[in-house]
Amino acid sequence: MPRPPAPEVKQVSRGGPPLALIGGVVVLLVVLIGVLVWAATRGGGLDATGSSSTLPDGGGVSVGPGVDADVAQVRIYEDFQCPWCGRLENSVGDQLTEKAEAGEVNLTFQIMSFLDGSLGNDSSTRAANAALCADDAGVFVPFHASVYANMGQEGQGYTDEQFVQWAQDAGLAGGELETFQQCVADDTHADYVEAMQERANRDGVTGTPTMVVNGTTIGNEEMSRLMQDPGALDSILEAHS
Amino acid sequence: MSTPGAGEGPAGGAGPSTVTASGTAYPGARGRPAWPGVVGLVARLVLGGVLVVAGTIKIVDITGSVQSVLAYQLFSYDVARFVGTMLPVVEIAAGLLLVTGLLTRAAAVAGSLLMAVFIVGIVSAWARGLTIDCGCFGTGGPVDPEDTRYLSEILRDVGLLALGAWLVVRPRTPLSLDALLTKGR
Repeated sequence: MPRPPAPEVKQVSRGGPPLALIGGVVVLLVVLIGVLVWAATRGGGLDATGSSSTLPDGGGVSVGPGVDADVAQVRIYEDFQCPWCGRLENSVGDQLTEKAEAGEVNLTFQIMSFLDGSLGNDSSTRAANAALCADDAGVFVPFHASVYANMGQEGQGYTDEQFVQWAQDAGLAGGELETFQQCVADDTHADYVEAMQERANRDGVTGTPTMVVNGTTIGNEEMSRLMQDPGALDSILEAHS
Repeated sequence: MSTPGAGEGPAGGAGPSTVTASGTAYPGARGRPAWPGVVGLVARLVLGGVLVVAGTIKIVDITGSVQSVLAYQLFSYDVARFVGTMLPVVEIAAGLLLVTGLLTRAAAVAGSLLMAVFIVGIVSAWARGLTIDCGCFGTGGPVDPEDTRYLSEILRDVGLLALGAWLVVRPRTPLSLDALLTKGR
Protein backbone atom coordinates (compact mmCIF):
# COMPACT_ATOMS: atom_id res chain seq x y z
CA MET A 1 0.00 0.00 0.00
CA PRO A 2 1.97 3.08 -1.06
CA ARG A 3 1.07 6.09 0.96
CA PRO A 4 0.39 9.19 -1.01
CA PRO A 5 3.18 11.75 -0.79
CA ALA A 6 2.66 14.48 1.76
CA PRO A 7 2.24 17.62 -0.27
CA GLU A 8 1.94 19.75 2.82
CA VAL A 9 5.63 19.36 3.63
CA LYS A 10 6.56 20.83 0.27
CA GLN A 11 4.08 23.62 0.81
CA VAL A 12 5.69 24.54 4.11
CA SER A 13 9.17 24.86 2.66
CA ARG A 14 7.80 26.97 -0.20
CA GLY A 15 5.46 29.01 1.97
CA GLY A 16 7.95 29.73 4.76
CA PRO A 17 10.01 32.87 4.87
CA PRO A 18 12.93 32.96 2.47
CA LEU A 19 16.39 32.96 4.02
CA ALA A 20 16.93 36.47 2.72
CA LEU A 21 13.99 37.72 4.77
CA ILE A 22 15.27 36.07 7.94
CA GLY A 23 18.75 37.43 7.25
CA GLY A 24 17.31 40.87 6.61
CA VAL A 25 15.44 40.84 9.90
CA VAL A 26 18.56 39.78 11.81
CA VAL A 27 20.65 42.49 10.14
CA LEU A 28 17.96 45.08 10.91
CA LEU A 29 17.94 44.05 14.56
CA VAL A 30 21.72 44.27 14.86
CA VAL A 31 21.75 47.68 13.15
CA LEU A 32 18.91 48.90 15.39
CA ILE A 33 20.71 47.91 18.59
CA GLY A 34 23.99 49.32 17.27
CA VAL A 35 22.47 52.70 16.39
CA LEU A 36 20.70 52.89 19.76
CA VAL A 37 23.85 52.08 21.74
CA TRP A 38 25.79 54.64 19.70
CA ALA A 39 23.12 57.28 20.32
CA ALA A 40 23.05 56.53 24.02
CA THR A 41 26.79 56.56 24.64
CA ARG A 42 27.75 59.72 22.77
CA GLY A 43 28.27 62.88 24.77
CA GLY A 44 28.27 63.00 28.54
CA GLY A 45 31.72 64.60 28.68
CA LEU A 46 32.84 67.63 30.61
CA ASP A 47 35.23 69.16 28.09
CA ALA A 48 32.92 71.81 26.60
CA THR A 49 34.12 75.40 26.62
CA GLY A 50 31.83 77.83 28.39
CA SER A 51 31.51 81.60 28.62
CA SER A 52 33.98 84.10 30.06
CA SER A 53 33.57 83.32 33.79
CA THR A 54 32.88 79.60 33.64
CA LEU A 55 35.08 77.04 35.33
CA PRO A 56 36.54 74.09 33.41
CA ASP A 57 34.91 70.63 33.52
CA GLY A 58 31.37 72.00 33.57
CA GLY A 59 32.08 73.53 36.97
CA GLY A 60 29.65 76.44 36.62
CA VAL A 61 29.83 80.23 36.59
CA SER A 62 32.18 81.75 39.13
CA VAL A 63 31.39 85.19 40.57
CA GLY A 64 33.85 86.88 42.91
CA PRO A 65 37.56 86.57 43.69
CA GLY A 66 37.82 83.03 42.28
CA VAL A 67 37.75 79.43 43.45
CA ASP A 68 41.36 79.59 44.64
CA ALA A 69 40.85 82.71 46.75
CA ASP A 70 41.11 82.36 50.51
CA VAL A 71 37.47 83.23 51.16
CA ALA A 72 34.32 81.23 51.84
CA GLN A 73 33.48 79.15 48.77
CA VAL A 74 29.74 79.00 48.11
CA ARG A 75 28.39 76.69 45.42
CA ILE A 76 24.73 76.85 44.44
CA TYR A 77 23.21 74.07 42.34
CA GLU A 78 20.09 75.46 40.72
CA ASP A 79 17.74 75.21 37.77
CA PHE A 80 16.13 78.31 36.31
CA GLN A 81 12.72 76.62 36.39
CA CYS A 82 12.93 75.52 40.01
CA PRO A 83 10.51 77.53 42.19
CA TRP A 84 12.50 76.93 45.39
CA CYS A 85 15.62 78.23 43.65
CA GLY A 86 13.61 81.37 42.96
CA ARG A 87 12.69 81.59 46.65
CA LEU A 88 16.36 81.29 47.62
CA GLU A 89 17.48 83.85 45.04
CA ASN A 90 14.79 86.34 45.99
CA SER A 91 15.70 85.97 49.66
CA VAL A 92 19.51 85.99 49.78
CA GLY A 93 20.55 86.35 46.12
CA ASP A 94 21.39 90.05 46.27
CA GLN A 95 23.37 89.71 49.49
CA LEU A 96 25.36 86.79 48.11
CA THR A 97 26.26 88.49 44.85
CA GLU A 98 27.16 91.71 46.71
CA LYS A 99 29.47 89.76 48.99
CA ALA A 100 30.99 88.02 45.98
CA GLU A 101 31.55 91.23 44.08
CA ALA A 102 33.08 92.78 47.21
CA GLY A 103 35.48 89.84 47.35
CA GLU A 104 34.19 88.49 50.68
CA VAL A 105 33.02 85.15 49.31
CA ASN A 106 33.33 83.35 45.99
CA LEU A 107 30.04 82.28 44.51
CA THR A 108 29.72 79.52 41.93
CA PHE A 109 26.47 78.85 40.13
CA GLN A 110 26.13 75.26 38.96
CA ILE A 111 23.22 75.76 36.57
CA MET A 112 21.37 72.51 35.98
CA SER A 113 18.72 71.88 33.33
CA PHE A 114 17.07 68.63 34.42
CA LEU A 115 13.65 70.21 35.01
CA ASP A 116 13.13 70.49 31.26
CA GLY A 117 12.42 66.77 31.25
CA SER A 118 9.75 66.78 33.95
CA LEU A 119 8.16 70.02 32.75
CA GLY A 120 8.18 69.00 29.10
CA ASN A 121 9.81 72.15 27.75
CA ASP A 122 13.34 73.41 27.06
CA SER A 123 13.30 76.60 29.11
CA SER A 124 15.88 75.49 31.68
CA THR A 125 18.40 74.75 28.95
CA ARG A 126 17.62 77.94 27.04
CA ALA A 127 17.73 80.12 30.14
CA ALA A 128 21.05 78.54 31.17
CA ASN A 129 22.44 79.25 27.70
CA ALA A 130 21.14 82.83 27.82
CA ALA A 131 22.76 83.34 31.24
CA LEU A 132 26.10 82.26 29.74
CA CYS A 133 25.51 84.65 26.83
CA ALA A 134 24.95 87.37 29.45
CA ASP A 135 28.17 86.31 31.14
CA ASP A 136 30.04 86.83 27.85
CA ALA A 137 28.63 90.37 27.85
CA GLY A 138 29.63 90.89 31.50
CA VAL A 139 26.07 91.05 32.87
CA PHE A 140 25.62 87.58 34.36
CA VAL A 141 24.64 88.75 37.85
CA PRO A 142 21.79 91.14 36.90
CA PHE A 143 20.56 88.73 34.22
CA HIS A 144 20.54 85.84 36.69
CA ALA A 145 18.49 87.94 39.14
CA SER A 146 16.04 88.99 36.40
CA VAL A 147 15.28 85.39 35.44
CA TYR A 148 14.20 84.50 38.96
CA ALA A 149 12.46 87.82 39.56
CA ASN A 150 10.24 87.17 36.53
CA MET A 151 9.60 83.51 37.09
CA GLY A 152 6.01 82.56 36.35
CA GLN A 153 4.05 79.47 37.30
CA GLU A 154 6.14 76.31 37.27
CA GLY A 155 6.17 74.98 33.73
CA GLN A 156 5.33 78.31 32.11
CA GLY A 157 8.89 78.64 30.84
CA TYR A 158 10.70 81.59 29.29
CA THR A 159 10.72 83.15 25.84
CA ASP A 160 13.72 84.46 23.92
CA GLU A 161 12.06 87.89 23.94
CA GLN A 162 12.16 87.84 27.75
CA PHE A 163 15.88 87.00 27.68
CA VAL A 164 16.55 89.91 25.35
CA GLN A 165 14.47 92.24 27.53
CA TRP A 166 16.44 91.26 30.64
CA ALA A 167 19.72 91.75 28.78
CA GLN A 168 18.52 95.25 27.84
CA ASP A 169 17.51 95.89 31.45
CA ALA A 170 21.06 94.90 32.43
CA GLY A 171 22.38 97.64 30.16
CA LEU A 172 23.17 95.87 26.90
CA ALA A 173 22.50 97.84 23.72
CA GLY A 174 23.62 98.11 20.12
CA GLY A 175 26.25 95.63 18.99
CA GLU A 176 26.47 93.96 22.41
CA LEU A 177 22.76 93.33 22.41
CA GLU A 178 22.92 91.92 18.88
CA THR A 179 25.73 89.58 19.89
CA PHE A 180 23.63 88.47 22.88
CA GLN A 181 20.59 87.88 20.67
CA GLN A 182 22.68 85.83 18.25
CA CYS A 183 24.13 83.81 21.13
CA VAL A 184 20.62 83.07 22.40
CA ALA A 185 19.31 82.19 18.93
CA ASP A 186 22.28 79.92 18.15
CA ASP A 187 22.17 78.15 21.54
CA THR A 188 25.90 78.86 21.51
CA HIS A 189 26.70 77.36 24.91
CA ALA A 190 24.51 74.25 24.62
CA ASP A 191 27.46 71.89 25.16
CA TYR A 192 28.59 73.68 28.30
CA VAL A 193 25.02 73.74 29.63
CA GLU A 194 24.94 69.96 29.27
CA ALA A 195 28.37 69.70 30.88
CA MET A 196 27.07 71.66 33.91
CA GLN A 197 24.23 69.14 34.33
CA GLU A 198 26.67 66.26 33.88
CA ARG A 199 28.97 67.75 36.52
CA ALA A 200 26.01 68.02 38.92
CA ASN A 201 25.19 64.36 38.22
CA ARG A 202 28.77 63.37 39.05
CA ASP A 203 28.60 65.48 42.21
CA GLY A 204 25.56 63.39 43.15
CA VAL A 205 23.26 66.38 43.37
CA THR A 206 19.69 65.29 42.67
CA GLY A 207 17.73 68.22 44.05
CA THR A 208 17.73 71.97 43.60
CA PRO A 209 18.50 74.29 45.19
CA THR A 210 21.51 72.70 46.83
CA MET A 211 23.94 75.02 48.55
CA VAL A 212 27.44 73.94 49.50
CA VAL A 213 29.60 76.15 51.73
CA ASN A 214 33.28 75.20 51.93
CA GLY A 215 32.43 71.64 50.99
CA THR A 216 29.56 71.23 53.45
CA THR A 217 26.07 70.77 52.04
CA ILE A 218 23.58 73.01 53.82
CA GLY A 219 20.82 70.94 55.39
CA ASN A 220 17.09 71.29 54.89
CA GLU A 221 16.48 73.21 58.09
CA GLU A 222 19.09 75.86 57.30
CA MET A 223 17.92 76.03 53.67
CA SER A 224 14.37 76.84 54.67
CA ARG A 225 15.65 79.50 57.07
CA LEU A 226 17.62 81.05 54.20
CA MET A 227 14.52 81.08 51.99
CA GLN A 228 12.36 82.71 54.66
CA ASP A 229 14.77 85.07 56.39
CA PRO A 230 17.44 86.99 54.44
CA GLY A 231 19.00 87.90 57.76
CA ALA A 232 19.96 84.29 58.39
CA LEU A 233 22.68 84.31 55.72
CA ASP A 234 25.57 85.69 57.76
CA SER A 235 25.17 83.30 60.66
CA ILE A 236 24.83 80.31 58.35
CA LEU A 237 27.90 81.29 56.33
CA GLU A 238 29.75 81.86 59.61
CA ALA A 239 28.73 78.44 60.92
CA HIS A 240 30.32 76.70 57.93
CA SER A 241 33.43 78.84 57.50
CA MET B 1 3.43 26.83 21.53
CA SER B 2 1.58 27.45 24.71
CA THR B 3 -1.85 28.75 24.04
CA PRO B 4 -3.79 28.58 27.26
CA GLY B 5 -7.42 28.13 26.53
CA ALA B 6 -6.68 26.61 23.16
CA GLY B 7 -9.82 25.28 21.63
CA GLU B 8 -12.00 28.10 22.84
CA GLY B 9 -12.56 29.32 19.35
CA PRO B 10 -10.39 32.16 18.18
CA ALA B 11 -7.43 31.31 20.38
CA GLY B 12 -6.81 28.01 18.66
CA GLY B 13 -3.60 27.03 16.90
CA ALA B 14 -2.69 28.38 13.53
CA GLY B 15 -2.70 25.68 10.91
CA PRO B 16 -1.82 26.67 7.36
CA SER B 17 -5.43 26.50 6.33
CA THR B 18 -6.45 29.18 8.78
CA VAL B 19 -3.95 31.80 7.72
CA THR B 20 -5.74 34.67 6.08
CA ALA B 21 -4.35 37.09 3.58
CA SER B 22 -3.55 39.68 6.22
CA GLY B 23 -1.37 37.20 8.02
CA THR B 24 -3.68 36.82 10.96
CA ALA B 25 -3.57 33.45 12.55
CA TYR B 26 -7.03 33.45 14.01
CA PRO B 27 -9.49 31.01 12.58
CA GLY B 28 -12.34 33.10 13.84
CA ALA B 29 -11.09 36.21 12.09
CA ARG B 30 -13.41 35.65 9.15
CA GLY B 31 -16.88 36.89 9.94
CA ARG B 32 -16.70 36.90 13.71
CA PRO B 33 -14.60 39.47 15.58
CA ALA B 34 -11.47 37.78 16.93
CA TRP B 35 -11.38 39.83 20.07
CA PRO B 36 -8.30 38.26 21.68
CA GLY B 37 -6.44 39.12 18.49
CA VAL B 38 -7.65 42.69 18.65
CA VAL B 39 -6.71 42.93 22.34
CA GLY B 40 -3.25 41.59 21.51
CA LEU B 41 -2.83 44.06 18.67
CA VAL B 42 -3.90 46.97 20.86
CA ALA B 43 -1.61 45.75 23.68
CA ARG B 44 1.31 45.58 21.27
CA LEU B 45 0.72 49.07 19.87
CA VAL B 46 0.05 50.73 23.25
CA LEU B 47 2.92 49.13 25.19
CA GLY B 48 5.27 49.37 22.20
CA GLY B 49 4.30 52.96 21.49
CA VAL B 50 4.77 54.01 25.12
CA LEU B 51 8.19 52.34 25.25
CA VAL B 52 9.36 53.98 22.01
CA VAL B 53 8.21 57.44 23.13
CA ALA B 54 9.67 57.07 26.64
CA GLY B 55 12.96 55.77 25.25
CA THR B 56 13.22 58.47 22.61
CA ILE B 57 12.73 61.24 25.16
CA LYS B 58 15.56 59.73 27.21
CA ILE B 59 17.98 58.98 24.38
CA VAL B 60 18.04 62.57 23.12
CA ASP B 61 18.98 63.70 26.64
CA ILE B 62 21.19 61.03 28.17
CA THR B 63 22.52 63.41 30.81
CA GLY B 64 18.95 64.03 31.94
CA SER B 65 18.23 60.31 31.84
CA VAL B 66 21.20 59.62 34.13
CA GLN B 67 20.01 62.41 36.45
CA SER B 68 16.59 60.82 36.80
CA VAL B 69 18.16 57.47 37.69
CA LEU B 70 20.35 59.22 40.27
CA ALA B 71 17.28 60.90 41.74
CA TYR B 72 16.09 57.52 43.04
CA GLN B 73 19.20 57.54 45.24
CA LEU B 74 19.66 53.82 44.74
CA PHE B 75 22.85 53.75 42.66
CA SER B 76 26.27 55.32 42.58
CA TYR B 77 27.11 57.63 39.68
CA ASP B 78 28.78 54.94 37.58
CA VAL B 79 25.91 52.47 37.94
CA ALA B 80 23.37 55.24 37.33
CA ARG B 81 25.26 56.29 34.19
CA PHE B 82 25.11 52.71 32.87
CA VAL B 83 21.43 52.28 33.72
CA GLY B 84 20.48 55.71 32.36
CA THR B 85 22.33 54.99 29.12
CA MET B 86 21.10 51.47 28.50
CA LEU B 87 17.51 51.94 29.65
CA PRO B 88 16.44 53.94 26.57
CA VAL B 89 18.23 51.46 24.29
CA VAL B 90 16.26 48.57 25.75
CA GLU B 91 13.04 50.58 25.75
CA ILE B 92 13.27 51.63 22.11
CA ALA B 93 14.37 48.18 20.91
CA ALA B 94 11.59 46.37 22.80
CA GLY B 95 9.10 49.05 21.75
CA LEU B 96 9.92 48.80 18.05
CA LEU B 97 9.78 44.99 18.19
CA LEU B 98 6.34 45.21 19.81
CA VAL B 99 4.99 47.78 17.36
CA THR B 100 6.13 45.70 14.39
CA GLY B 101 5.19 42.43 16.06
CA LEU B 102 8.60 40.85 15.67
CA LEU B 103 9.76 38.46 18.41
CA THR B 104 6.63 39.53 20.23
CA ARG B 105 6.95 37.24 23.23
CA ALA B 106 10.58 38.12 23.96
CA ALA B 107 9.86 41.84 23.53
CA ALA B 108 6.81 41.56 25.78
CA VAL B 109 8.92 39.85 28.46
CA ALA B 110 11.43 42.71 28.25
CA GLY B 111 8.68 45.33 28.35
CA SER B 112 6.96 43.67 31.31
CA LEU B 113 10.23 43.41 33.24
CA LEU B 114 10.87 47.11 32.64
CA MET B 115 7.43 47.99 33.99
CA ALA B 116 7.95 45.75 37.02
CA VAL B 117 11.28 47.47 37.72
CA PHE B 118 9.68 50.91 37.34
CA ILE B 119 6.90 49.98 39.75
CA VAL B 120 9.43 48.74 42.33
CA GLY B 121 11.45 51.93 41.87
CA ILE B 122 8.46 54.23 42.34
CA VAL B 123 7.19 52.28 45.34
CA SER B 124 10.64 52.44 46.94
CA ALA B 125 10.86 56.20 46.31
CA TRP B 126 7.39 56.65 47.76
CA ALA B 127 8.21 54.52 50.79
CA ARG B 128 11.36 56.54 51.46
CA GLY B 129 9.39 59.78 51.10
CA LEU B 130 11.58 61.01 48.26
CA THR B 131 9.94 63.93 46.50
CA ILE B 132 10.80 62.57 43.13
CA ASP B 133 9.09 62.59 39.79
CA CYS B 134 9.23 59.16 38.22
CA GLY B 135 11.68 59.08 35.36
CA CYS B 136 9.47 56.86 33.26
CA PHE B 137 8.89 59.52 30.66
CA GLY B 138 12.16 61.22 30.08
CA THR B 139 13.65 63.12 32.95
CA GLY B 140 12.39 62.65 36.43
CA GLY B 141 13.98 64.42 39.31
CA PRO B 142 13.00 66.01 42.57
CA VAL B 143 9.79 67.98 42.39
CA ASP B 144 7.65 69.78 44.91
CA PRO B 145 5.97 67.30 47.25
CA GLU B 146 2.48 68.25 46.10
CA ASP B 147 3.46 67.51 42.52
CA THR B 148 4.48 63.91 43.03
CA ARG B 149 2.07 61.53 41.41
CA TYR B 150 3.18 58.20 42.77
CA LEU B 151 -0.18 56.48 42.70
CA SER B 152 -1.20 57.50 39.20
CA GLU B 153 2.23 56.54 37.90
CA ILE B 154 2.10 53.17 39.62
CA LEU B 155 -1.39 52.53 38.22
CA ARG B 156 -0.26 53.49 34.73
CA ASP B 157 2.70 51.13 34.91
CA VAL B 158 0.54 48.35 36.34
CA GLY B 159 -1.78 48.77 33.34
CA LEU B 160 1.16 48.58 30.95
CA LEU B 161 2.50 45.56 32.82
CA ALA B 162 -0.88 43.86 32.33
CA LEU B 163 -0.68 44.51 28.57
CA GLY B 164 2.82 43.03 28.54
CA ALA B 165 1.69 39.98 30.49
CA TRP B 166 -1.18 39.43 28.04
CA LEU B 167 1.34 39.41 25.17
CA VAL B 168 3.67 37.02 26.99
CA VAL B 169 0.75 34.60 27.29
CA ARG B 170 -0.67 35.24 23.81
CA PRO B 171 2.14 36.50 21.60
CA ARG B 172 0.29 35.70 18.36
CA THR B 173 -1.41 38.83 17.14
CA PRO B 174 -2.75 40.02 13.81
CA LEU B 175 -0.74 42.37 11.61
CA SER B 176 2.58 41.24 13.02
CA LEU B 177 5.91 40.38 11.42
CA ASP B 178 5.82 37.20 13.48
CA ALA B 179 2.63 36.15 11.65
CA LEU B 180 4.24 37.04 8.31
CA LEU B 181 7.40 35.06 9.08
CA THR B 182 5.56 31.99 10.35
CA LYS B 183 3.08 32.08 7.50
CA GLY B 184 2.58 28.60 6.17
CA ARG B 185 4.26 26.94 9.13
